[in-house]
Amino acid sequence: MANSFEFTQPRDVAEALDALAQPGRVMPMAGGTNIMVNMKRAPLEADLVVDLTRLEELMPISAANGTIRMGAGVSFARLLEWQPGGALEGLMKPMCIAFAGPLIRNLATAGGNICDASAAADISPPLLALDATVELDSAAGGIRTLPLPEFFLGVRRTARRPDELLTAVEFPCPAADERWFYYKLGKRKADAISIVSIAMTVKLVQGRVERARIALGAVAPVAMHARETENLLQGEPLNEVTIGAAAATAAREARPIDDFRATGAYRRQMVETLVKRGLNHIAQQDK
Amino acid sequence: MKKQALNFTVNKQQESIQVTPRTRLLDALRLDLGLIGTKEGCGTGDCGSCTVLLDGNAVNSCMVLALQAEGRDVTTIEGLGEPGILDPVQQAMVRSGGIQCGFCTPGMVLSLKGLFDGNPNPSEEDVRIAVSSNLCRCTGYTKIFDAAQALSEGSLQAQAADGNDDAIGARMVRTDAVEKVTGGAVYAEDIQLPRMIYGALVRSTHAHARILSVDTTGALKLPGVKAVVTGRDIDMGYYGYELHDQRVFALEKARYLGEPIAAVAAVTADIAREAASLVKVEYEELPAVFDPEEAMSPDAPLVHDEPNAYQFDWESERKGNLCYRLEVGEGDVAQGFAEADEVVEGTYHTPEAHAGAIEPHSATAMADPGGRITIWTTTQKPFAVRSYLARALERKISSFKVIPTHIGGGFGGKLYPVLEPYVVLLAERSGLPVQMTLSRDEEMATAALLRHPSKVTIKTGVRKDGALVAQQVRMLFNTGAYGPYGPNTAALGSLMAGGPYRIPNLDITGLVTYSNNVPKGSIRCPSGPQMAFAVETHMEKVARAVGMDGLAFRLKNAWDNGDTTCTGQVLEAVSIKECLKKAAAAVDWDETCPPGTGKGLACNWWVSGTWGTQTLLETNEDATFRLISGCVDMGTGGMTSSVLQMAAAGLGVPAESIQLVRGDTDTLPWDHGHGGSRMTFTIARSAYEAAQDLKQQLLEEAAGQLEAAVDDMVLENGRIFVRGDRSNSVALAQICYNRHKKHGGPMIGVSSILDDAPPTTKPHPIGAFPAPSFCAHAVELSVDDDTGEIAVTRYAAAHDVGKAINPTGCEGQIEGGVAMGLGLAMMEELREVNGKVLNPSFADYLLVSAEDMPPMQTILVEQPAVEGPMGVKGVGEPPIAPPTGAVANALADALDVDVQRLPLTPEQVSTLIATRTHGQ
Repeated sequence: MANSFEFTQPRDVAEALDALAQPGRVMPMAGGTNIMVNMKRAPLEADLVVDLTRLEELMPISAANGTIRMGAGVSFARLLEWQPGGALEGLMKPMCIAFAGPLIRNLATAGGNICDASAAADISPPLLALDATVELDSAAGGIRTLPLPEFFLGVRRTARRPDELLTAVEFPCPAADERWFYYKLGKRKADAISIVSIAMTVKLVQGRVERARIALGAVAPVAMHARETENLLQGEPLNEVTIGAAAATAAREARPIDDFRATGAYRRQMVETLVKRGLNHIAQQDK
Repeated sequence: MKKQALNFTVNKQQESIQVTPRTRLLDALRLDLGLIGTKEGCGTGDCGSCTVLLDGNAVNSCMVLALQAEGRDVTTIEGLGEPGILDPVQQAMVRSGGIQCGFCTPGMVLSLKGLFDGNPNPSEEDVRIAVSSNLCRCTGYTKIFDAAQALSEGSLQAQAADGNDDAIGARMVRTDAVEKVTGGAVYAEDIQLPRMIYGALVRSTHAHARILSVDTTGALKLPGVKAVVTGRDIDMGYYGYELHDQRVFALEKARYLGEPIAAVAAVTADIAREAASLVKVEYEELPAVFDPEEAMSPDAPLVHDEPNAYQFDWESERKGNLCYRLEVGEGDVAQGFAEADEVVEGTYHTPEAHAGAIEPHSATAMADPGGRITIWTTTQKPFAVRSYLARALERKISSFKVIPTHIGGGFGGKLYPVLEPYVVLLAERSGLPVQMTLSRDEEMATAALLRHPSKVTIKTGVRKDGALVAQQVRMLFNTGAYGPYGPNTAALGSLMAGGPYRIPNLDITGLVTYSNNVPKGSIRCPSGPQMAFAVETHMEKVARAVGMDGLAFRLKNAWDNGDTTCTGQVLEAVSIKECLKKAAAAVDWDETCPPGTGKGLACNWWVSGTWGTQTLLETNEDATFRLISGCVDMGTGGMTSSVLQMAAAGLGVPAESIQLVRGDTDTLPWDHGHGGSRMTFTIARSAYEAAQDLKQQLLEEAAGQLEAAVDDMVLENGRIFVRGDRSNSVALAQICYNRHKKHGGPMIGVSSILDDAPPTTKPHPIGAFPAPSFCAHAVELSVDDDTGEIAVTRYAAAHDVGKAINPTGCEGQIEGGVAMGLGLAMMEELREVNGKVLNPSFADYLLVSAEDMPPMQTILVEQPAVEGPMGVKGVGEPPIAPPTGAVANALADALDVDVQRLPLTPEQVSTLIATRTHGQ
């Protein structure tokens, strides 16, 4: 019969990992805000749904030894209240405000948004720009970590094995002088799926780029680093010439498609526009 | 699926129920606990009508599995306040007028509750963000912001005194506000009947295909299936609005993707859907046509083989895929163009758009063994449901009893039968009550009765001094596979094709084509936003061509009293110039805009009502009264405020003593339905007349008792006395009591209204707009030159309502209409490719949210209509039209571009910017 599945609500990660190791189609469910949409439209392809909402171990955000650890179960509402300051807050706060609306923010989690692996997932560009790694745990294999770009394999495909649970995201705490830029372009102010989103962090030393991270959402099958652009900027000052070249390179690197939200051509053009805007903003930040 | 125990706290009560793993929290609340105040508008987390508080946080209950709520605390709308005492958030919403159809209200209130519980003094920005997930299609959010502000400032008490006044012109609180704000109002999907089963439709998977066979065997074998009906095993007649070209099921061929071919009913909605998928339909695909210009070419595939065989109440040339053609004009345009100093041409496109009511269509039917059928449905026209069904199923009108439920937003999307025929057939076949509710996807993609997409070409001749001399307009509307409202849309459009302007030479052609697209309907101000966009954008271009300011140009050409329309209607009570001046002044029209910003104006005119209605006003024994009308209220609140205010004024009693009777088509007098901006113009006027009739009877009765002349009778404060002698009086209650007890029954005031249309000189199916209303909107916006994003910074709407019976109601219509019009201008577009709708959801078909709504100035102009006692003009539809033109003109002002296409999404604007750059 349609939509026939069992439901379990583990109390801790160990129980959750045992549940995920069960045979059959096992579906972990956090905020549920993607899964429930799918279930409205078609029977859920699952024999067992593992509810992750009670795993308090996955909820804290902590900092130790220069590394931030964000539990996968942290909700966007909670993330919005977080006030770490600097580049971290500069990226996360506007992303959270642009993420769906307040009702969904109260349910949806960081881990869920990452595992859904939509190209337009709002959390991905900031996390890519922060050089995040994801932590996966399983009853059989224990903990392993993967850089976020290696976690995304394709359109809604990730490196998570069915028995694995994404438990946390970690990234180096940005330095106090780290510069940032975030922008999400949608068709409506609130609650819009992005046409293009962009997150950047740049470390400038004596006016030259020591490290640049430029992450793009909704312009390729998965959220992506504009690697060539990042490399191009390495060691360069930020001026009209370098910024123009970087923007053009990023536009080339993007692999956008046409859909009813926007044409690929417009998305590509917006990548150029927003990279330019972002680097100009960064060049003037904190002056 | 096996049920499991769920223990949780709901509205402070410990609840233990059994649910399946797939049961959503929304379903557990609605179906298992009967908490129907939680609504389902989409089921995909995009509308917010199912909002509840989960451990104090506002969430979509459609996004939560019931079992996830184990041990948690849930608050629904029913849990707010105490019996008889509203929560302050509810009070604020009631008093501010933040409630219209009421379908979004419970969710809206809970989002506000969640906000205020954590922050008693939120800023306006906090409020906008807090309710930004709660879509409201009626109010434009403005009165909801007012409610929050009153709550934040603690100014609720001050408002209360004002709110109790129910005289003409007072801000009377609508009488259904409390019912709606507490979640008690019953909508179509809230109907629950014993042994009720659920229906689903088998829909065509091709846009154009011959149906070779329909095999229902597989569906009938599925356990739980109770009935399957196809077009091959029932009698079907043709039905429609003016043009009767549609049948309940596709029979020989399917003409659009999603056209119903069969219907099934089963014990659960899931099984019904599964059964629908088991009905095997064999097709032979036919070449299809989607573009209206292509549809008119001689070698285009024919959507209807014999369109002339259909009954059509209007006359028109019809050949090939041409569904309707209309021509109307004045003077000689060729000569006009020859006399002009400049001739300006332009072509304007608008996309398909959805009415966007948050409540989807839902209907329930029960057949009694004697053959009579009762239907509960969300409809703007309960009496028309009967007559459509009678034609479609070849029955007598009297076989149907229609019980209208509360309507969760209509906007024209609920004028026409959508599910009623199928629940009737399934109820008869199964012998059980059957309910069917559209999913949001179906609602948007197949059953939508969309706003007609348009292509309007205009050629205008103008003199150097700005005087318009000639205009030629060709309007093309694509009505899709069936034309229920295509002819009407073109006919209405033709009356707006010259704008509200004096143009001596006019040549207007309206064309409506069939195609293999989803059928179009009659959405709020049909053709208005399309024509206001085309005509007003074009007028701006004409003004620029002669170097004139848009306001000055419009003032030079706008109608005055005594001017005539293209059909020869002589205009009275014209106020277009006053509207233009007031709207322009509100955005400081004369102040120059900084770079990257612009201002725009647009104006329009529209009809008030009317169609026939009958109203009865009947005494109770204690001098309270029953107001009996067959008109329903689609959410605007006219029925529960201005109609009562007018009746009270006609009788000379407080409105609170008049009770609105809610009934059905068996018990209420016939009425045309709620639409066409007729509620206050037609229904309230009829109520006033009925009240005057009853008053006369009461005075006559009193005159007999007091032994004085009727003309000397005065009714005041519940007593009738002899003029000049207050001691000689009788209580109204005494008269009523005596009539009931001693003379065998109540006194009844009656009014039947069917207005004659104002005279015209040209043949035209509509002819004239009775009591025309006028309006003008002005907008200020800024544009991001890089991305094409528009931010509307100020918005002013001036509407001539003739007389504002209830200013809160008038403002609510205007603010809501502006929100909808801004959506059409900036984001709403249903994208149909080869007959398939690509974005059938509120995630991808975007309505204006609370965060998008600009600061509004709503200006009521009162230039009384010559019709009717108060001079009321309709205001329900007109506000939706001008925003399209006003935004386009402001954008043209900001960027110096020609706008030709809606909606003005960032990408569309960016394209315009690119053309400008290349042009320079």
